[in-house]
Amino acid sequence: MLPNGINDDNNPVGAVMVVGGGISGMQASLDLASSGIKVYLVESSPALGGKMVQLDKTFPTNDCATCIVSPKLVDVARNPNIKLMTYSEVLSVSGSAGDFHVKIKQKTRYVDMDKCTGCGECARVCVWRGRVSSEFDAGMGKRGAAYIPFAQSVPLVATIDPNSCLLFTRGKGRCAAPCSKNCGPKAIDFEMQDSEIEIDVGAVIAAPGYELYDATLSEELGYGRYPNVLTSIQFERLLSASGPTRGKVLRPSDQEEPHKIAFLQCVGSRDQKHNYCSSVCCMYSTKEAMLAKEHAPGTDISVFMMDIRAFGKGFDAYYERAKNEHGIKYIRCRPSSLKEIPSSKSLLIRYESEDGRILEEEYDMVVLAVGMEPAKRVGELAERLGIKLSAEGFCKTDEFAPLDTSRPGIFACGPFVEPMDIPDSVMTGSGAAAQALALVSRSRDTLVSEKEYPPEIDTSGEEPRIGVFVCHCGTNIAGVVDVKSVAEYASQLPGVVRAETTIYACAQDNIQTLKLKMKEFGLNRLVIAACSPRTHEPLFSDTIREVGINPFMFEMANIRDQCSWVHSKEPDKATDKSKDLVRMAVARSRLLEPLYKTKLGVNSKAVVIGGGVAGMTAALSLADQGFGVFLVEREPQLGGNLHKLRYSVSGEDYRPFVDSLVERVMSNPLIDVITQATVTALTGFLGNYKMTIVEPGGQRVIEHGAVVVATGGREYRGEEYLYGQDSHVLTQLELEQKIADSPGEIAKVKNVVMIQCVGPAAKSGGYCSRVCCTTSLKNAIRIKEMNPDANVYVIAKDIRTYGFKEQVYTEARSKGVIFLRYEEGHEPKVERVDGRLRITANDHVLHEPVTLDADLLVLTTGIVPSEGNDILAPALKVPLTKEGFFLEAHIKLRPVDFASEGIFVCGLAHYPKFIGESIAQALAAAARAATVLSRPQLEVGGSVAVVEQRKCAGCLTCVRVCPYKIPKINANGVAEIEVAECHGCGTCVAECPAKAIQLMHYRDGQVTAKAEALFAEVI
Amino acid sequence: MIIAEQKPLKEIREMIAPYKKVLVVGCGTCVTVCLSGGEKEVGVLASTLRLADAVDGNEREFVEQTITRQCEDEFIEQLRGNVEKVDAVLSLGCGVGVQDIAAIFPEIPVLPGLNTTSFGRPSEQGVWVEECAGCGDCILDETGGICPIARCAKNLLNGPCGGSHGGKCEISDDTPCAWALVYERLGRLGKLKTLEEIKPAKNWSTAGHGGPRKMVREDLRK
Repeated sequence: MLPNGINDDNNPVGAVMVVGGGISGMQASLDLASSGIKVYLVESSPALGGKMVQLDKTFPTNDCATCIVSPKLVDVARNPNIKLMTYSEVLSVSGSAGDFHVKIKQKTRYVDMDKCTGCGECARVCVWRGRVSSEFDAGMGKRGAAYIPFAQSVPLVATIDPNSCLLFTRGKGRCAAPCSKNCGPKAIDFEMQDSEIEIDVGAVIAAPGYELYDATLSEELGYGRYPNVLTSIQFERLLSASGPTRGKVLRPSDQEEPHKIAFLQCVGSRDQKHNYCSSVCCMYSTKEAMLAKEHAPGTDISVFMMDIRAFGKGFDAYYERAKNEHGIKYIRCRPSSLKEIPSSKSLLIRYESEDGRILEEEYDMVVLAVGMEPAKRVGELAERLGIKLSAEGFCKTDEFAPLDTSRPGIFACGPFVEPMDIPDSVMTGSGAAAQALALVSRSRDTLVSEKEYPPEIDTSGEEPRIGVFVCHCGTNIAGVVDVKSVAEYASQLPGVVRAETTIYACAQDNIQTLKLKMKEFGLNRLVIAACSPRTHEPLFSDTIREVGINPFMFEMANIRDQCSWVHSKEPDKATDKSKDLVRMAVARSRLLEPLYKTKLGVNSKAVVIGGGVAGMTAALSLADQGFGVFLVEREPQLGGNLHKLRYSVSGEDYRPFVDSLVERVMSNPLIDVITQATVTALTGFLGNYKMTIVEPGGQRVIEHGAVVVATGGREYRGEEYLYGQDSHVLTQLELEQKIADSPGEIAKVKNVVMIQCVGPAAKSGGYCSRVCCTTSLKNAIRIKEMNPDANVYVIAKDIRTYGFKEQVYTEARSKGVIFLRYEEGHEPKVERVDGRLRITANDHVLHEPVTLDADLLVLTTGIVPSEGNDILAPALKVPLTKEGFFLEAHIKLRPVDFASEGIFVCGLAHYPKFIGESIAQALAAAARAATVLSRPQLEVGGSVAVVEQRKCAGCLTCVRVCPYKIPKINANGVAEIEVAECHGCGTCVAECPAKAIQLMHYRDGQVTAKAEALFAEVI
Repeated sequence: MIIAEQKPLKEIREMIAPYKKVLVVGCGTCVTVCLSGGEKEVGVLASTLRLADAVDGNEREFVEQTITRQCEDEFIEQLRGNVEKVDAVLSLGCGVGVQDIAAIFPEIPVLPGLNTTSFGRPSEQGVWVEECAGCGDCILDETGGICPIARCAKNLLNGPCGGSHGGKCEISDDTPCAWALVYERLGRLGKLKTLEEIKPAKNWSTAGHGGPRKMVREDLRK
């Protein structure tokens, strides 16, 4: 028996510890918690969010980073199954997979988290405010010793930094501690001590993230000495509206706008000390350059780079936009140093142009694109977790088990595994969750709890009895707004039975008072005039439900963010505006109606479409988690592209891997393999799907709860460069087969020429297939190993060996592979001369054309989508990109989900990728699918769109405008919106020309009541 | 469906200027579907007019009502209660609706809020294209299902003309040449041969050139 009393020796602990609260760790936590697993999320810093929260925008969509990440922060904070342990460190992990015992040190903040309301008063009065370099602003802004890291911090509590607080640095009595004196809830306690907590978990996920390279180590670039040399994250903070300059790009030396900016790539990447590429810098510099141009259109921007590594989905198009629409210059040179001009503090860069001239150019500001390094304390963490690190200092993992660490039961995700961008971090976060789920799923739902509520009171037919509570929020609101007069005003409004003020509406003791008042005055509606519903609505909705009132009978007036904060200089007007906001909230509150959710059963089986490495991995992961799987494959056998490939980059033979994978799938009793079958239709919705498949024996319908699309891709074949006309012209795949199957032939070749970017990447608006540079170099190295005398030429635009794949590029160069470059529009020429292949290309060093006679010409043709996606996508009602790959719900934060709930994507069906990446994404899809399949029932309804069929004209507008393709025109010719599928976005409601659709909880009357109340006094 | 588009606000305001109380009437059929005269548009237009009046300091009241079809007497009858309270009706129906309301309530001015433009369909959300001219003598069987009367700028029966270039009509590059479409479609149907027959001049009397048209079904008359 373990201390929690519910496990015996056979069952794993139904809890997982996630170490690291960045985007990857948060995703893993959310997936685990949604699948009935208790999560301990341990984060060493005071707040969640990792590096992503510091970003202004994200590539390649320029989505606002905070806007997309803060809902995730809130989700984590609200999830009852996630125990947040911020400002904490793992001390030790003993035990073994399924039953780990973990010791955690919780560092003291000198602030009682249960009392602190996050009002920020302590930060405002700290005598050291504005004097400590802010981590959040990367040193560009300042904070105090008492601080909240950023406005959207989760948890929203203050921390006292003992390294700067005078009471600690200079001793007791050296500061009057205004923070403590001004703290309304008396949360500050300087006597608090670190504490140690022990927990039991079945698995651990390590997501400690990365650190940025310390640019002061590259002394030649002047960072730290020259004020106008910044790192990319500092520049990002300048771009951000929440940053120290409120979104103005200004030179630190003179606060002037820079007119000419240079970005230097690969600072701390691809150098003597870093034998890897950081994978994200090319794109983030492109983003920052574009944003700088948007801030000040006239800015002249140059990016100094070696290769542009635009290898992900949508990256090439983004890079083209930067060049063509924004006029950003990309210069192919890595300047070895820069100098400051003392008078102007501008920077002088000497570089060699493409045509070999030495040029010197002056820039007002230089941004160093610093690379990713393993977090400094990751060695210590690895030791405590008992896991091995790679030579580069990242987590040691295996190509075919990309998220497994060296210790069973401990998994890794995010840039701890390899430098990666946000979508890959999210993907691996979900993937690591799947691995943990496979281990602990037997104990699903053992440690999570469901809240019990009293029966709901029927208030229908009652007159509105509204309670209004006006929050002081410490001095946040009350310091500006006369809250008492607002409460008095509210008490006069029709329907209001009780109105009063409260110091902190959200503090635990006030919540209890609130509940008593609800009962005492027989209130059937609640209005809270305080902060934002974004963070606090769930709390208050839940509070009224606890006293038997329907949770939809709640309304909020945001008199803080939308009033006291923005009108702090005009208290009278702010008080008037608060009254307006409260009047509006009360007006709507009068019209609120109780809404009820209904429960639907969930079919816990999944369908996986496609039996390649991604599909098989997803199927196995789901089966390991205890779910039944139908694996539908078009071909007679499983394996997909794995049957065509021969060896991996590290030289591993694929055959044993694929054989064991197929064997595991075929012998798994939970997996029903259906070959030679195609999917023709999908009906139903999340948790209750029906799929029609056609197989040789006829047609059948499968009932299931979720779908994973893993239909793969294939190597492009075209007619370029005499392919198909000359037997000496091969694709990379054909070369790989020849190398493995007829090594004798390869040993005889003298000259091999490879041309990169043939096919999809060559077309206008083309895309990078991500794997081909590495694949070509893998084959080039093989040829060199088999036949060192052979000349191998690679003719490429950019070499995109991102992450650790850079080492393949280094190895190829050291083995004597010769690289030539071509620009778009100046592709090499191939002709047949006297029965031999002759290739003419430009030599970028000599600036002259060179002629190569080749025994073998190998075309690197990239990956195109699988045939039939255009038929499958409409059958599943999911979208495709213009290239024909499946389009996920959100390119950054929902990389395996479709907008239609319950359908997921992985592998080449999503975009070209390496096998390890396909495996990680397949695991991610399995974890996401598990969040659906593991639920005993789904709650549907509430705030969804409802059609008044009598009014419907059957015009199809709702059908056409719904972003999720939910409305249908039924057999009676009127619109029908399935309650279980509706997302409640309200788009159809706004567009319906017959006003036949209403969004529950936001009915026209409820919304217009607010507007009418607002203007009641002026119209 | 019948396609109609809202008249410019200025024109509508000039029309209603003499009146103090106006009933804005929507139609739940074609103009709802082409998003120009359904209940939503009635609400939007009435609110806009109220705002405009408030800005100018005009005293005017608007009443809103939408009926299933403005081209059926029985549905129009449902307006009676409101019509009696106002001094003008602004119809967001097609021209038929405006006239029918006027016929039922001859004592009150009925004003058109829309311009009725064509018979067509939405080619995508927010775009409507004309595809039938109501000529009363359909020849779509001969032209591969593409109507040269509605879709050729010259209503040619033996097209294309010299203005067809690259599949487009000379009037505008976003107008496909109907005869290029006919040619392509007949090719797919293997009926290109039929283009060699010269079509005689069309009988335009059915197209309204012989006066207003009327359809009579004796079997259905009471």
